[in-house]
Amino acid sequence: MKIKNFVKNIFTYTPPCSYEFFLPNDFNNSNSKTIKPEINETKNIFASLDVNLEYIKTQYNLLINSDIITREFILNARGKQHKALLLYIDGMIDTQILNDYVLEPLMMRNKNNLFDGDQNRIISEAVTNNITVRKVKKFDLIDYIESCLIPQNSIKQSNSFEKIFSGVNSGNCALFVDTLNIALDIDIKGFKQRSISKPENEIVIKGPHEAFVENIRTNTSLLRRFSNNENLIIESLDVGKVTKTKCAVCYMQNIANSDLIAEVKYRINNLEIDSLLSSGQLEQLITDNNSLGLPKAISTERPDNAVQHLLEGRIVVLVNGSPYALILPAIMVDFLKSPEDRNLKTIFSNFLRAIRIISTFFALLLPGLYVSVTSFHIEILPTELLYSILSARESVPFPVIFEILIMEISFEIIREASLRVPSAIGSTIGIVGALVIGQAAVSAGIVSPILIIIVAITALSSFAIPDYSFSFHLRLFRFLFILLGYIAGFLGIGTGLFVYISIICDMESFGVSYSIPYSHMENLKNTGIILPPIWKREYRSSYLAPKKERKQEDISMKWKFQ
Amino acid sequence: MVKSKIGTISAILLTLSIAVSYITSSLPRTFINETKSAALLNIIYITVVVLFIIILFCKLFEKFPGLDLLDISKFLGGNILKNIVGGFFIVYFTISSSIMLRNFCEGLVVVYYPLTNYIFVILTFIISIYLVNKLSFNATINTSSIVFPLVLLSSILLFCGNLDNFSFRRIYPIIGDGFYNTFILGLKNIGAFGGICYLYFLPPMLKEPQKFKKIAIISVISTGLFILLCVGTLLFMFSFFITADEIMPLFSAARYIEFGSFFQRFESIFLLIWIISFCCFLSITCKFSAHIFNKMFNLSDIKPILNIIVLLIFGLSLLPQNYAIANFLETNIYRYLRIAVGFILGITILILANLKKRKVGDKN
Repeated sequence: MKIKNFVKNIFTYTPPCSYEFFLPNDFNNSNSKTIKPEINETKNIFASLDVNLEYIKTQYNLLINSDIITREFILNARGKQHKALLLYIDGMIDTQILNDYVLEPLMMRNKNNLFDGDQNRIISEAVTNNITVRKVKKFDLIDYIESCLIPQNSIKQSNSFEKIFSGVNSGNCALFVDTLNIALDIDIKGFKQRSISKPENEIVIKGPHEAFVENIRTNTSLLRRFSNNENLIIESLDVGKVTKTKCAVCYMQNIANSDLIAEVKYRINNLEIDSLLSSGQLEQLITDNNSLGLPKAISTERPDNAVQHLLEGRIVVLVNGSPYALILPAIMVDFLKSPEDRNLKTIFSNFLRAIRIISTFFALLLPGLYVSVTSFHIEILPTELLYSILSARESVPFPVIFEILIMEISFEIIREASLRVPSAIGSTIGIVGALVIGQAAVSAGIVSPILIIIVAITALSSFAIPDYSFSFHLRLFRFLFILLGYIAGFLGIGTGLFVYISIICDMESFGVSYSIPYSHMENLKNTGIILPPIWKREYRSSYLAPKKERKQEDISMKWKFQ
Repeated sequence: MVKSKIGTISAILLTLSIAVSYITSSLPRTFINETKSAALLNIIYITVVVLFIIILFCKLFEKFPGLDLLDISKFLGGNILKNIVGGFFIVYFTISSSIMLRNFCEGLVVVYYPLTNYIFVILTFIISIYLVNKLSFNATINTSSIVFPLVLLSSILLFCGNLDNFSFRRIYPIIGDGFYNTFILGLKNIGAFGGICYLYFLPPMLKEPQKFKKIAIISVISTGLFILLCVGTLLFMFSFFITADEIMPLFSAARYIEFGSFFQRFESIFLLIWIISFCCFLSITCKFSAHIFNKMFNLSDIKPILNIIVLLIFGLSLLPQNYAIANFLETNIYRYLRIAVGFILGITILILANLKKRKVGDKN
């Protein structure tokens, strides 16, 4: 039966079954040449609570935004009842403070709010000709709430939605009361989750030192705090029939491409799995497969990095229980960028990028090139170097392929072992590895010293790649190029490289070509090849087809040119 | 077949990638062999002639916006003519790639793999093309966009690296073997611009079809400059009697590059780039052949056809008994095939179709 199937598979034609999604690649979107004013113009708070609620619903997209909470209740003040509404972001406020010091004093009946004295306070009273003239101050409900009902140290009154929303975005809660066109911005910032730690795998020197944690609500609040804008939408989706893991799809509503958002949600919503335990699993489930094993989503533990991508028009997916965010879509050059690049001067960032590109080349091809040069193209080596290589290899009894495979595999074993052992003895493994690779192998005549240099440069180069998955891919495919170099020299490497480049050029991540910007040169803005000076980063990456193409004006440093 | 349309720069690089394969194999030798010291003059002359042809060609295409030669053939003579023209081009593309493959591999065998049978070298290319055929047309187009700048860089390096070895007197006598040889017989070299055959099928694939004329003209000028650069390197370096004997003339020029005493003899790096570029050429030919086949028979999936085309190329490349025959086919038969199919057939169809269009227009 199996043989029959095998034969069938070879000779029977099976029509291609491919899933295709494209982002519109009309990069000359004339509608977004300049920064347009926000659609949500500054508005004042309405007197009607229902109208305010409708406005909040529209601005915060309450139908889809999962962490924006509106709490309607009846407020007691001076024995009268008023309809009221609290607006806050889940995860950014201290629930204890909200309950004890905001909701309780406002809702519960107590001496303060049941006091039904004169509604109007008498400021002065004068009696003339048996006529009493009283100067009264009219009862002001909002002042009364602020000064008598809420025992909070930081409360601000505002009649502008912009100011109120800004407070809410930074972790405050807003109190709206029916019939009042003023709202209160109450400071109740706080987190109930464990404290946010430093990033462990994406360390930067000049950037923020905060990292995502396992709790999804903490992570969404981090995104909110960094973005500080109500256009950030956080949609909640459940994945997994058994685990029903909470995932959050986050994007800037006014920047990210709608097709891209729909595609990400479509893929996440159409997962028929029992469980989802990490963002790594989700990445594999929602991205297209590729034979090279290249990552198609950026995985980051840094909220500032995630927000940077959100503001570029990408989509961030958070998974409950995972301290990593997935950023979609991702192209090849993204894996050569570090969050540090944005904090450094442009010249240093570009220098580092060039170093990383060279590292990628070395990590993938250096051992293969060494094998092919020593086996087929010796003339490329200067005579002095050739002599030293030959003399070094004189005592080595193995062919060069065997020699290099021993070294590369040993190195991979040491790397894997140092990852798996407890951190206390990790350094011991490093010492043992260094001894084995560095000295003993050469002394025993198993490998030549020049090969140690090749393997060491290759290993260091693979460490210089910022993305772990991308580095993993290079480590694996290095072996293929070693074999090709040994079989056919530069012919093997050349044809192998051609297939490799072609596969990369064929790949797409959520409708965006993976090889951009190297292969598509038309009308590309902010390509990522060279990082321009900060004042010249006027456009968002055009391959993401964002709703707003520009992110700053032509003259961003107005202080200099006014 | 093409998932997303081709941009202007990609289209130009695509046609240039095709020219590169001719140039790296034997084209400079042919130029220098036939026109001697007037090779550069001949290239300029040929470029100008082709430029005029291409302007005519664009003029003829103007009345058929967004249509390729097959659509125009269908308009002219129905499905029968469309299939005949398509068949001609498939045969031409297959034969051209197989002859070029054989010659390039023979060159590689002589230079680097003297103990290896050329079949294995051909097979290496065939396997890589077979693998790439599983990918989309866009993959090939994008790959050529990445590879061509490297080839251009290598050619510029070849020119600059050999400046010390140049003797500019070698262009004298400037008219070579005389006016007749340079300008009348030299017209045969028009086949060097065989890459424009592919332009016939580009209009429907272009993102901006209105820029077709710009693409065609820039492609011709760039190809001319590229040939000038490569042939110039050879002409200034070697006496044309020596050049005529070389198997891969540009490879020989690469041998002489030196930057100090440490950086010498890195011709194999150039070969690595040319190998990748040659793979691009093979892949482009396969994809275009399959594209034509698809247009002729309206298939839902062209990948099985691609495999057959690869097998055909492999089989045809084994047909010449030895390198001498393969070389003879390339320098004497194939160049005329290029002229016949690339220029005469294409332009004849375009002229006739224009006449028909005018006639139909008059009647209407």
